[in-house]
Amino acid sequence: MAELLLLVSGGGVAGAFGALLGLGGGVLIVPLLTLGFGLPLREAVGASLVCVIVTSSAAASVYLERDVANLRLGMTLEMFTASAALAGGLVAFALPDRALALMFAALLLYVAATMARGRGADLAVKPAPDDPEALAPAPAEAPGNGLAASLSGPGYRVRNLGRGVLGSLVAGIVSALFGVGGGIVKVPLMNLAMGVPLRVATATSNLMIGVTASAGGLIYLLRGGIDPYVAAPLAVGVFAGASLASRMADRVDLRLLRVLFVAVLVVTATQMALKGLP
Amino acid sequence: MRASRLERKVGLVLAVGSAVSVGLLTLGIVAMGASQIGPLDRPFPRFDLGRVPADLAATEPAGFLWLGLLAVILTPSVRVAASLVGFAASGERRMAVVALIGLAIICLSAILGAGG
Repeated sequence: MAELLLLVSGGGVAGAFGALLGLGGGVLIVPLLTLGFGLPLREAVGASLVCVIVTSSAAASVYLERDVANLRLGMTLEMFTASAALAGGLVAFALPDRALALMFAALLLYVAATMARGRGADLAVKPAPDDPEALAPAPAEAPGNGLAASLSGPGYRVRNLGRGVLGSLVAGIVSALFGVGGGIVKVPLMNLAMGVPLRVATATSNLMIGVTASAGGLIYLLRGGIDPYVAAPLAVGVFAGASLASRMADRVDLRLLRVLFVAVLVVTATQMALKGLP
Repeated sequence: MRASRLERKVGLVLAVGSAVSVGLLTLGIVAMGASQIGPLDRPFPRFDLGRVPADLAATEPAGFLWLGLLAVILTPSVRVAASLVGFAASGERRMAVVALIGLAIICLSAILGAGG
């Protein structure tokens, strides 16, 4: 019973961190399960994918209802994230655990560096579902003609669709290999390279995570890579933590939280790297 | 600005899917507690769709857990299917094709996953 409570509360903390800092929570869930509970890396990734889908579905429903997410852009890019996730899911079963651990450590350091550079507030903080600024409508403007134009929204025009496709492929592989949402790739890509406003980029990335993680998650499910006894309590904890955190986002010192998070990531990356070394 | 009818419907699909998934998973966790099953007990049950109805009928934890996990994983696919219907109904052929491709990729994942 103690382990069950630990998993639910661990999921709650990961979900809260994820909601407050704009990450799916996978970067914390996978180390929690491998380093904290001693699970094999692939089972940890499988459980993490389940958690990532739960948070994506819950948050995206709010973003769509409030017209923050760009459904058409998200569905177009998720063709590529999902294809890459499919490939990533197959590759994950072929890679040795040690190689995966070393690659995961590198991913953690990348996330830590991105947040530590000070762009975290812009790139990583996902607007909480109740954040009024995040939910404020963009000004209306006719976007023009063409494919990119048809994916544009009020007040912005989508550009560099080719770069968006390439970045989406990277995000999809990262998602399936490491059990994360891939928002750390997609949000800056959409915002900086494709001209999508930050709040729309974060909401759209969130929407895309569901289908991307589903493509990888199905492979894990059908190949015995998901432990229901671990995934279920963790997912319920993540859901509760993310829901609670989104309601108290405006009362939390995000700068302090980010510093703490970067420190946790660096320590975790070191431990994952040690696990991966022979 | 209010979301369009399609966005609202798709959002509703996700909200219902999340609620159903978390509800089923919670029932499974309660059943785990009642059966004194720990999360780290090994071996864990492997996914077998054919066994799920029988496990549910017997109120076995695995039945609720697998159904909940299936609901989690398939909710985004139902969202894509709902979008496909919406785009087709509103004459957005290009987006309907995009949605169809999305569904095809998920089906391919299932086929490749089952074949491993």
